[in-house]
Amino acid sequence: MKKYETPLLDELEKGPWPSFVKEIKKAAKKSEMANDELGQLEKSYRDRRGYWKHGGIVGVLGYGGGVIGRYSSLPTEFPGVAHFHTVRINQPSGMFYKTDDLRTILDLWDEYGSGLTNMHGSTGDMVLLGCRTEALEPLFAEVTSRGWDLGGSGSALRTPACCVGKARCEWANIDTMDLCNHLTQMYQDYLHRPAWPYKFKFKIAGCAVDCVASIARADCSVIGTWKGKIAVDQAAVKNYAKGGMDVQAEIVDMCPTGCMSYSGGELKIDDANCSRCMHCISKMTKALKATGEKGASILIGSKAPIVVGSLLSWVIVPFIKMEPPYTEFTELVDKIWEWWDDNAKPRERIGEVIEVKGMRSFLEAIGVEPQAQQVYEPRKDPFFFWKEEDLNGNK
Amino acid sequence: MAWLTEQEAKAKRKTDIGPPHYSKMLPPVIAKNYGKWKYHEVMTPGSMVHVADSGDKVYTVRVASPRLLSTESIRAMLDIADKYCDGYIRWTTRNNVEFMTTKEENVAQIKKAAQDAGFPAGGIGSGISNMVHTQGWVHCHSACTDASGLVKAIMDEVFPYFNEKTLPAKTRLALACCVNMCGAVHCSDIAVVAIHRKVPVIDHDLVKNMCEIPTTISACPTRAISPDPAKKSIKINADKCMYCGNCFTVCPPINIHNPEQDGVAIVVGGKIGSLRKGPSFSKLAIPYIKNNPPRWPEVVEAVKNILDTYAKGAKKHERLGEWIDRIGWEAFFRETGIPFTYQHIDDFTFARDTFRTSAAFKW
Amino acid sequence: MELAELQDKIYAFVQAAKGKKKLKEKDIIKGVSAETSETPDNVKKAMRAMIDVGRLMYSYGGGSSSVEIPSEEYLREKGMIK
Repeated sequence: MKKYETPLLDELEKGPWPSFVKEIKKAAKKSEMANDELGQLEKSYRDRRGYWKHGGIVGVLGYGGGVIGRYSSLPTEFPGVAHFHTVRINQPSGMFYKTDDLRTILDLWDEYGSGLTNMHGSTGDMVLLGCRTEALEPLFAEVTSRGWDLGGSGSALRTPACCVGKARCEWANIDTMDLCNHLTQMYQDYLHRPAWPYKFKFKIAGCAVDCVASIARADCSVIGTWKGKIAVDQAAVKNYAKGGMDVQAEIVDMCPTGCMSYSGGELKIDDANCSRCMHCISKMTKALKATGEKGASILIGSKAPIVVGSLLSWVIVPFIKMEPPYTEFTELVDKIWEWWDDNAKPRERIGEVIEVKGMRSFLEAIGVEPQAQQVYEPRKDPFFFWKEEDLNGNK
Repeated sequence: MAWLTEQEAKAKRKTDIGPPHYSKMLPPVIAKNYGKWKYHEVMTPGSMVHVADSGDKVYTVRVASPRLLSTESIRAMLDIADKYCDGYIRWTTRNNVEFMTTKEENVAQIKKAAQDAGFPAGGIGSGISNMVHTQGWVHCHSACTDASGLVKAIMDEVFPYFNEKTLPAKTRLALACCVNMCGAVHCSDIAVVAIHRKVPVIDHDLVKNMCEIPTTISACPTRAISPDPAKKSIKINADKCMYCGNCFTVCPPINIHNPEQDGVAIVVGGKIGSLRKGPSFSKLAIPYIKNNPPRWPEVVEAVKNILDTYAKGAKKHERLGEWIDRIGWEAFFRETGIPFTYQHIDDFTFARDTFRTSAAFKW
Repeated sequence: MELAELQDKIYAFVQAAKGKKKLKEKDIIKGVSAETSETPDNVKKAMRAMIDVGRLMYSYGGGSSSVEIPSEEYLREKGMIK
């Protein structure tokens, strides 16, 4: 195997944070591919530029996604990365693994690829980094015959992702992992066969803390919430105070709605004016608990800034029950997709289409009534549309 | 192990089966108490305990990861999980690794074993967790900086906030190696995003063969691209181009990479959670710092400066963006000593909402 | 319409767009359905069967996915031709 001098990358082996350079070097002991990755990366560091070509057309037969083509622009100099495709393996919901099951994937990856991975990619898949084209079909057969499948890519449903939810969090208002798994299985066809104008992402969070960043990076953000009161355990409140917490400053004064008061060691909440933001619950988890009806808010449209600016998801359905078999939700999803697919130009995400076509068009198409929870404030201008039915009805 | 032959692969392959069901992957204590957790406590920045209604406890040790992992290192982690965690392990949405055990006495041993393998514990509570990032020069055609290297350099510097010290509130760092922002870093407390500064260079012969001209023209958000019929290609109005690179994405022969001029911007004050002030985008703090591999000292210093100024000025539980909201952006620039430039004033889609319409402001 | 005939129509439809327009699945389903008066669902099934055996393929470029006629390279790699 060729030995590369890597004085620049070697600098990144120093320091307390785990070093990706050490990882590449570990893989390079066994793999020519990882070794040439190291060589090419050192050249990138020297020249301050990447040496990868645009993704090519590669994949497994019948699927339109799950593999992202990657070719070096310097294949003669670094033949080991001439092909260096990405293979996305759909993670189990919540990213828990039984060690033996994960070892199966690792063994296959050492045989068929570079031995380098991302645990995990941004969307949530396990990412196998660096595969040759001719290894794709046999690797796919090995992986699927052991009960695993590819994730999504391209103009398709992307691998749904969720927070840890009920598995290990007292704040989860919905079973995020179950819903994530349900959607992943129900929509396998949409995930593997790109049929849409562009990508579509689901992310499911159990509460408004949103540990999966659904509100910023999912076309459909599902965020757990509740309708009842926050139950207060006054004895536990006293313990927090005794433990050094300044309940007035840290809890009451930081409440965005001013719905809390604290006197005589007793914490009171005006639940009708609580916006369920999770600040107090997250800081006093032993003392405060959401009670009553549980469900989710559905928000639509977030994306990164390419190209006319980033969007956060917008509240569309303030509250929906979220229990198996999730029919009410998936029927809504079908309507959302139909409207988007009918109205989008190529590479237009759903949030952008809503901006172009108007929120009313979207709400009518999916059968959701206008509700004050959908906006921060009503419009300021006097220019609004009237439809015939508005004139004749009571609206 | 030998590769499957074509026939074997055809016989074995399945489609549309999806991932394994999560229930097969859960540690017994998690499966038993699923949906019945009562509360949790952060013990140290690297460990916490969750207590169930049943009284069961699960201790979690969270450890750092560079995200880019060799199979060898993952196996080392799995061995630790076999020894202390009944053969189960978990990854978090920010790419940390979690070891869960029902025995408190295992916590210290897991920490030590992980540290010995090169993966220190930390990242829980009011501090810095792992830095979400993209592929960079390691694996992306679109990258105009490296991701892993910058993250390594920054995390080395702020490491005490990962494994021992606390900040006023949790502080989420992220990095995107181009403005496509895979991983959506645009709502982070401090994010580094790589940018271009020069108009792309067009290879007209290749454009003619490789690109759909109408698609390329419509890809431009500022309408800077128009047809060039003589060359059967396109031309770019330099005055209108803001270097987003979307044309390069749809038409590779429009080369926007420029190693001399590419670099990074730093944006601050975004958040995801609805707690208190609600989710918000990160906003521009520093428009440009030159790429300076292998350790980008100027970027590291800039991040450190913002972080230190925040740590000094913010109240308890106040996220970076909430602190800036309270003191005002003009005070943010004053306190951090970061110069305010033309690039800071928005002239794109959100501009109108950002101009000050009040006579009240600080010097 | 016989399946084989429908698939020939689909193939011709995709071939006609080659080099001019990147077709999404939906463009093909709508277009061929209008041409042949077959239901969109039938067109979709016939098209998918063609993709499964490599007569058509999913492609990706310029940030989005499309359906195309496979290159020789692709067919060789999938063992469809020697």
